[in-house]
Amino acid sequence: MKTKIILCVALCIFAVAFRSADGERFEAPAHWQKPVYDFRKNPLTSNTIALGRALFYDPILSRNNTISCASCHSQYSAFTHGDHALSHGIDDRIGTRNAPALMNLAWQRSFMRDGAINHLDMQALAPISNPAEMDENITHVVAKLQATKTYPKLFYKAFGDSVISGAHTLKAIAQFMLTLVSSNAKYDSVMRKQAVFSQQERKGYLLFQKHCSACHTEPLFTNHAFMNNGLPVDTTLRDMGRFSVTMNADDSLKFSVPTLRNIEFSYPYMHDGRFKRLSDVLHHYTAGVVQSSTLAKELKKPIVLTSNEKVDIIAFLLTLTDRTFLFSPAFSFPQNMIEEAAKD
Amino acid sequence: MTPIKTLLVIFSPLFFLLVACRGASARPRPLATSSSSGIIRLSIIPTFGSKNILIADSSFQTGDSHNVQIDVLKFYVSHIQFLKNGTVVLEEQKSFHLIDAAIKASFDIVIPNKHAISFDAVRFNLGIDSTTSVSGAMGGDLDPTKGMYWTWQSGYVNFKCEGKSNLCKARNNEFQFHLGGYRQPYYCLQTLTLPVHNPNEITLQFNAETFLSHSDVGTHHHVMSPNAEAVRLSAIVANSFSMVKSSTAK
Repeated sequence: MKTKIILCVALCIFAVAFRSADGERFEAPAHWQKPVYDFRKNPLTSNTIALGRALFYDPILSRNNTISCASCHSQYSAFTHGDHALSHGIDDRIGTRNAPALMNLAWQRSFMRDGAINHLDMQALAPISNPAEMDENITHVVAKLQATKTYPKLFYKAFGDSVISGAHTLKAIAQFMLTLVSSNAKYDSVMRKQAVFSQQERKGYLLFQKHCSACHTEPLFTNHAFMNNGLPVDTTLRDMGRFSVTMNADDSLKFSVPTLRNIEFSYPYMHDGRFKRLSDVLHHYTAGVVQSSTLAKELKKPIVLTSNEKVDIIAFLLTLTDRTFLFSPAFSFPQNMIEEAAKD
Repeated sequence: MTPIKTLLVIFSPLFFLLVACRGASARPRPLATSSSSGIIRLSIIPTFGSKNILIADSSFQTGDSHNVQIDVLKFYVSHIQFLKNGTVVLEEQKSFHLIDAAIKASFDIVIPNKHAISFDAVRFNLGIDSTTSVSGAMGGDLDPTKGMYWTWQSGYVNFKCEGKSNLCKARNNEFQFHLGGYRQPYYCLQTLTLPVHNPNEITLQFNAETFLSHSDVGTHHHVMSPNAEAVRLSAIVANSFSMVKSSTAK
């Protein structure tokens, strides 16, 4: 009997220790597909997520220490640059694309509007080095981080090594971004049978399934494909989208299909932020699609919607707002953590 | 079983497992030594013709009128294998090496060969394969701080060479080659197989003069993106490697 008790205690101690050493577990929402991110190569730990969060909010990543990731990816706007068609980066330089909303990134295989970035770990290198965004380079970022009092301690906690590397910096940022899971909108409650749609939302949902879900596929509300949705080319930007990555004419004017989750807060819309309102977006799909050889087959025939039907669809889209995500303290500026680390 | 013994039985294997796992990820690469026992020493020497390239002093003249200055010369050698009669008999694990003409220590690669396996050829990739290129952030020679990763397009830059040539028609006579690309049809990785004459000490050279003369640096002076030109030049880079039959080149 004594042996059995000791055995149980020992196993409990080990279980706690294992969880502590192994840290956080990534919980995919029930009935969602398996994430594509390989967590074995970058296992989540609470210390690494906390480090990534500090880095995400720290302008030290930019040349003159003025622009952080959060500058163009604010939590309250679903981690996009709210109310900005094209983001402004360092020295108020204007980029060429609308900052994408960040959420559910563990399910995403490529990043940026044209999919140029092949892995979430490497994504942060693009804004760090872009002259219109942070205008820095990762080597100098690492040197700056190493010279601080705080970061060597945070890296030690996260990776057991106070000597900072580019790989650890990027993996930490990736870990924080991986935690940005949005799965608690009203839509999700309805799917879990914990809530019901209003009559208008229900109508909108059925219209959405008929006209929109082929590309904005549930439950992530994207099929993660690159598609031409018939936008007229902005001649001031001449952005060819995916073509600039593959140099394949078949990819001309194709952009990644964005998620519609939290779309209420992620305006303006499209890769160049040309539409300020959801009604503008629906107007485009019913009356503004430009025919071309690479146009998505789903849009070859015009979508016909009455004014009331458009309103119904918008009512449904608002059920994709996830306030627990938008206002979660776990994703906000880590004031307390930075202060505590500075005291150590 | 006593309580103490019970605890020992439970925790000992777990403790060793944890230590072993940690050790595997933190194990440093073996240092280069001159010992030939149980190791293969592979040296890769950047040269310009018959002269070694040292970035601090890297001005060269070829013929009567071609002056060349090399400011940056870095390339990846990966997935090193040894062959006997065309069959792989030994391969290095986690085989990624950045050769940097500015860092002499990077020229030497030491590979364990505990069982003294004999071989007659060496094979390696010039650059980083597409699977590794899409596998996220990695440390060591693959750390992005090494300046050999362009996140927007090429992924890892397989080969980087920058400098000046008086034949070059670009601004300030500068040339810049950043050759990389992990997606077809512009996959730039090259695989080289070279016969080994002296298994105890293998010395290869990369001859920048061969590369620059065959790549026509006068008119092709800037290649940064994955494209057909990057693929063409990558093949020329591969053809600029040769085995040094004796160690005198060092």
